[in-house]
Amino acid sequence: MSFIDPLYLVFLATGFTVGFGHCVGMCGPIVVSLSLNLKGRNLYLPHLLYNAGRIITYTLLGGVMGATGSFSMVASNIAGIQQGALIFAGIMIIIMALAMSGWLPLGRTFGDHYNPEGFVVKGFQKLSRIDTVVAYLPVGLLLGLLPCGPVYTALLAAAGAGMNAPTTLEGIIKGMVVMFCFGIGTVPTLFLIAKLVDMGWLKNRQIIYRIGTVLMLIVGVYFIYQGLMF
Amino acid sequence: MRQEIHISSIIFTFAFLLLVTALSVNTVSAGAWAINCKAHDGKCSLPIGKETVTLEIMPRPVTAMLDLTFTVTLSGKPPEQAPYLDLGMPAMKMGPNRVQLKPAGNGVYKGKGVIVRCKSGRRTWFANVVVPGAGEAKFVFDVVY
Repeated sequence: MSFIDPLYLVFLATGFTVGFGHCVGMCGPIVVSLSLNLKGRNLYLPHLLYNAGRIITYTLLGGVMGATGSFSMVASNIAGIQQGALIFAGIMIIIMALAMSGWLPLGRTFGDHYNPEGFVVKGFQKLSRIDTVVAYLPVGLLLGLLPCGPVYTALLAAAGAGMNAPTTLEGIIKGMVVMFCFGIGTVPTLFLIAKLVDMGWLKNRQIIYRIGTVLMLIVGVYFIYQGLMF
Repeated sequence: MRQEIHISSIIFTFAFLLLVTALSVNTVSAGAWAINCKAHDGKCSLPIGKETVTLEIMPRPVTAMLDLTFTVTLSGKPPEQAPYLDLGMPAMKMGPNRVQLKPAGNGVYKGKGVIVRCKSGRRTWFANVVVPGAGEAKFVFDVVY
């Protein structure tokens, strides 16, 4: 069993290059939303957790692809979950936008303290008070399921690696490593976006939050629309 | 001072969005990617030098996320190595998606592959058939989602 397959390097590079060309548009709005919600707090740990969640999901999907060796079979089975992830992402972005703007009196989605009165508000605050850097991990886990062309392409390669592997176990491992490398490759882009949004001279500038709110609302609605049409 | 900060914030935001747009889309002009193959209707042919390469994708209509069979037929002398084809989108970078083709006799080569779905809704794809030693032919066609 060869532990170093050129395919891994190919998909590490693919994650990096496609990340700049594609993830910016797909995951970019989510990363921008998460960064804006941090409002000046340290972004490294939350974004590390978000990316770790995403990569764990990719890696697990890669393992399933490698085990079955069939992209189309697995893809058809997870299509409903992906649709749900897309709609969830849209709703999450809209809630974060409304909370950030103050139009929805819930405090920031991740981490603000707010004096709750209603039942829903209390529940929401409980959710957000896991204070709440840890919440970025499940968000990443779930959003790793977002339907995305380059992720599909990497999964296709994972399935191919599984199909060509002599044993199921080797297929699983190869599929997982392909997707892990792809996921790692996409991280620099998303960190860069997070860092751009968090630049010091932008902090506490109300205008950027207003513009950000409007953009996030548009993107959230677009995600939901895409999810419904998926 | 405050107004300067606001203006620079707005400029930054729009610059960021422009960067996003520029990076998300390939810089190839639309004319270079005009559809030259009605893959839903049947076979398509393109020249490579003095020879002809024919591509057929089954089943039809050509649908994303399904297993597809790509059949390439070459006229003239068989190449030293089997041809292969690379699938991609003109408008979006999708990562390497290569279909290896195996000889099926009489200049016919077959291979299985999948055209993945792009969330943007764009449906135009290409199959770049590479014949080692002879050249390549780029078939541009629409798929069904």
